[in-house]
Amino acid sequence: MALTIISLMKQVPLPSEMRMGEDGLMDRTKAKSIINVDCSFALEAGLQIKKQNPDARLIVASMGPPSFTQSLKKAISMGYDEAYLLSDRKLGGSDTYATGLAIATMLKHLGFSKDSKEPFIILAGRQTSDGDTAHVPSQVAENIGIPQATFIESVDYKDGSVVVKRIIEGGYQKLKLPIPCAISMTPTGIPPRRPSLAGAIKARNSDVTIFSIDDIGLKPDKIGLSGSPTLVAKVTNIVSDRAPVTICGGQTESQMVENLIKNINLGKSSLGDDKQKKEGVKKEKKRPDFEVVDFRNGASGILTWAEVTNGQVSRPSLELLTPARRLADTLNTNVTTLLIGKGVKELAKTLIEHGSDEVIVVEDDRLEEYRVLPFTSIFTQVIKEYNPEIALFAATTAGRELAPRIGVRADCGVTADCTALEIDEHIDRKNKRILAPVLESRRPTYGESKLATILGFNCPQMATARAGTFEVPAPDKSREGKITTITPKFNEDDFTVEILETVRGGGGLANLFEADIIVSGGRPTGEIDEMKLVKELAEALKAQGVNAEWAASRPAVDGGYAEYARQVGQTGKTVRPKVYISVAISGAIQHIAGMKDSETIVAIDHNAKANIFSNADYGIVGEYQDVLPELIEKVKAGFTFGIETKK
Amino acid sequence: MSHKERQPMDSVDLVSTDVLIVGGGPSGLATAIHLANMLKEKGESKRIMLIEKGSSIGSHILSGAVVMPEIFKTLLPYVDFNEIPFDSKVGKDDTVYLSKESSFALPFHPPYMNNAGNFVVSLGQLCKYLAGIAEEKGVEIYTGFAVDELLYENGKVVGAKTKDTGVDHHGEKLANYQPGTEIQAKITVLAEGTRGYLAKGLIKKLNLDNGRNPQIYSLGVKELWKVPEGNIEPGRVYHTMGYPLNYGDEFGGGFIYGLSDNRVALGLVVGLDYKDPTFDIHAAMQVWKTHPFVSKILKGGKIIEFGAKTLPEGGYYSIPKFYGDNFMIVGDSAGFLTTARLKGVHLAVCSGILAAQTAANALIKDDFSEDELSNYEKLFKESLIYKEMYPVRNFRQAFSNGLVFGGLQFAAQLATGGAGLFGRLETEADNETLLPTDAYEKPLFIERFGEKLEFDKVLTFDKVTDVFYSKAKHDEEQPVHLVTNDDMVKENIKKFTAPCQYFCPAEVYELHVDKSGHEELRIHAENCVHCKTCDIKSPSNAITWIPPYGGDGPEYDNM
Repeated sequence: MALTIISLMKQVPLPSEMRMGEDGLMDRTKAKSIINVDCSFALEAGLQIKKQNPDARLIVASMGPPSFTQSLKKAISMGYDEAYLLSDRKLGGSDTYATGLAIATMLKHLGFSKDSKEPFIILAGRQTSDGDTAHVPSQVAENIGIPQATFIESVDYKDGSVVVKRIIEGGYQKLKLPIPCAISMTPTGIPPRRPSLAGAIKARNSDVTIFSIDDIGLKPDKIGLSGSPTLVAKVTNIVSDRAPVTICGGQTESQMVENLIKNINLGKSSLGDDKQKKEGVKKEKKRPDFEVVDFRNGASGILTWAEVTNGQVSRPSLELLTPARRLADTLNTNVTTLLIGKGVKELAKTLIEHGSDEVIVVEDDRLEEYRVLPFTSIFTQVIKEYNPEIALFAATTAGRELAPRIGVRADCGVTADCTALEIDEHIDRKNKRILAPVLESRRPTYGESKLATILGFNCPQMATARAGTFEVPAPDKSREGKITTITPKFNEDDFTVEILETVRGGGGLANLFEADIIVSGGRPTGEIDEMKLVKELAEALKAQGVNAEWAASRPAVDGGYAEYARQVGQTGKTVRPKVYISVAISGAIQHIAGMKDSETIVAIDHNAKANIFSNADYGIVGEYQDVLPELIEKVKAGFTFGIETKK
Repeated sequence: MSHKERQPMDSVDLVSTDVLIVGGGPSGLATAIHLANMLKEKGESKRIMLIEKGSSIGSHILSGAVVMPEIFKTLLPYVDFNEIPFDSKVGKDDTVYLSKESSFALPFHPPYMNNAGNFVVSLGQLCKYLAGIAEEKGVEIYTGFAVDELLYENGKVVGAKTKDTGVDHHGEKLANYQPGTEIQAKITVLAEGTRGYLAKGLIKKLNLDNGRNPQIYSLGVKELWKVPEGNIEPGRVYHTMGYPLNYGDEFGGGFIYGLSDNRVALGLVVGLDYKDPTFDIHAAMQVWKTHPFVSKILKGGKIIEFGAKTLPEGGYYSIPKFYGDNFMIVGDSAGFLTTARLKGVHLAVCSGILAAQTAANALIKDDFSEDELSNYEKLFKESLIYKEMYPVRNFRQAFSNGLVFGGLQFAAQLATGGAGLFGRLETEADNETLLPTDAYEKPLFIERFGEKLEFDKVLTFDKVTDVFYSKAKHDEEQPVHLVTNDDMVKENIKKFTAPCQYFCPAEVYELHVDKSGHEELRIHAENCVHCKTCDIKSPSNAITWIPPYGGDGPEYDNM
């Protein structure tokens, strides 16, 4: 039978036009819309598979308001055959859990299930620019009950199976999946083609099939605002307190660099009082005299995952023990950490030193590398037995696909990519009660301009925490804890995905968190000289005795000029060096999020209107290939951006 | 530009239509609407396809604009006139002479400059409205597609082709290559606007400008502002003469139009026949805004949008032959504009109506020959366009020789019904008028205004800041759409100090000088607002503008 390719697509507001409604939810009515960028890469991946398999059927499917038909029609104009939209008012306010369920139900209604005779591949974007959770592909896969691969750069379909390249921290993996399967694409593969006129004419004459929830037999109790396991409790503005940029001008690049040095030596300007944004004066609402309800139903304790890479507990998993410990102390409970791998028992001690009270060890030769399906099985079994109230994961490429898959199986919501985790109470005015103690998961959203607080009342309350946000706790060699070894049950289906190859580059990751100066290059620095000048500047600083490192923006990593471990920005990492030197980076909001806490930011870009200059202390407008050699010369002569050297 | 022989291996999408209209401005939309109306009256059903390179109708449309509304009654006979989204009826209307420090309103309007009964409009919004009407009538409108090739058979136009996409800087096909679509059309109507790319090639190939004056242009640089209540009322119209232009050297002036909602459209329009290689119309517009007469209107306001556009100003004698076998040219592409009025919208719409009448009859007769389509010219001779353009046929040429001479000439022309003192006056193509920087004896533009050329980003803006407000964007992964002749560019750097860095209003061109003094022209194609000044003004045709991928370019909302 011919292969069917199903591309899941979301229409999103143009990032520059994102606005938020009164209720803290996205106001989609006013903004101009586009196909979510990651989804457009998935659409292209489908068209590429079709190139090799000309009789494949191409379906595009989405969930959202009727206005989404314009993007579905665009997919047809790019070469898709059929388009389906699940559109129902009752779906409004659905969280990712409810969305995954609804989309999976639509696909099953269309005849695509685990046991379908018809071979199919589900393609999706890695994440959306207005949600940024990366949850839905995992949740759709779990709801349908098929294997998945996320953060995929390229897909090759041959002889009934799919070989993909998965981006992981510091490298990549090659996986072989049976079909049916679900794959989410990073925006790093083949860019989406433009529609052809012939395609646009075809789209004009074709219809988008619109389903209501009744049409697909979806019950309203698990969708929409009321059916979603998580809710947005509040949204606040993220206020920047950086003073406006000082542009260092000059007739020539050497004058510009001289000027930069002069300005840096003068010291940073600070915000005048008049420019300080006023903090909204919040009226503290009086705590009503409602009954306090413990919604946890007996669940207690904090469960965390210790991700193992290169035989070590990864740094983000250690960072995670900082909030975990604090939450446990507040709740007067324990931190239990799940450690899975081959010969990893030795690492349990490290975890205890860093704050775990108990480490559950699972050893299995097949689990040397992380695999989403068996790990989901293990977690589900541990959750059942330990009944934790909170489960935390580092928001790594693994954590971000594992948590939502577990969430679907354990029937609870997940908050993605958090930067703060607190315990509080929730005043439920509708039902006149106070729910406590609840985990407040805070995450930046709407292009990092807002901080949303998200709650869930199904235990465990799950969250992934952004790497680099929390400090690694100071180890205490004298700490004692319990080590428990368990042998979970596996289903053979958990091992149908084959790991063909795992490649991890050395270094980078840890160094970036500790560096005093980071020199970060954008895509042009890769295209023009393969980041040679960026690396040279970092090397020159190192030679002066500065703890310096080089990094890259997402497009530069996407272009293959730097390994993922060096990526700064969303889904990469948050860094806060003393000096951050941004080279030919335009300053996409996601990148800014990853570096805005740096003490001093120096931006070099040819485009004076680039967003980076709105987030920098010092700026040079010029071509980096002209500016950097001047700067390198100055560094060689002893200029170190005011950083003390170890010499 | 010529039709390539198709290789049997190439898979090219093919579509066919009765009428293909390239361009969704006033002339193309008028052609579509009037043709649909006529065919309906005659009970005929034909396919009309209109293709626009902007991401939506209106996104590449820019005009002042004060529009003469009468022609819309002919175009939209079934529509309540009040329903047409003209913004504001022209109220008080002055022509103001600016000296360096002061201003005085002329006690009379220069001939042709009276605007009583006209409307101040956003042409982009008007076009969006017209597109809605056209679609209701069954016209198929496709936006976001660039048409970059005419198809010929036996030397005759038989349609056009959309641009191939998914091609890298060097023209190599990428994995996401999408071949363009060939559109076979019985009639192709070119409505590309000023300096149309296909029209330019067609005019050259078929010698349509034989015996005509070269077309000459002006560049208009426009900003849209929101100002405090009371700064200017809707419908208020000012035209300015004088500062900062040197009359005799630069032909042009400013416009300030009050719009609804406390918005004001303003700009400076300057003829591209100037001689100073450093003359910079964008900068001149910024200097103009600092004149107290202009700055008081903008005080307390902020810019909303920016854009730029060229206007064909050569007049009657520069109009090429605008029809032939299977094709017609309408609107700015044909040069239908009354320079003395600074208006072309009504003529664009009128030419669309005439082309539609011609096309309707041709479709019914199934005859698309040059002979049949020559009806377009017959209709033209009886039309508003001819009646307006012929009497002022020498207007613009007169001013190429300076204001005093121009004023005298124009007075004589008015007296003699357009012939003036010498009969037909010639024009010199705009790319031939620059003097080498060394040979320009008067103070250069860059020396004339001192610190006024430092922009404060409140009242005055550098080009990149303004480009931000045009919302221009271009896919980086495509062949650069500004094709340069490297030898000529080098020559222009040497002789004319790279005039493109000055005349381009969007900072597409940067003359980079490195430490060793090596000069190199850098092209920032992503800034381009599609005004085509570089295609018009570059000495020795050093730069050719070709359409980039469809959907790229500015994103005007209310220009």
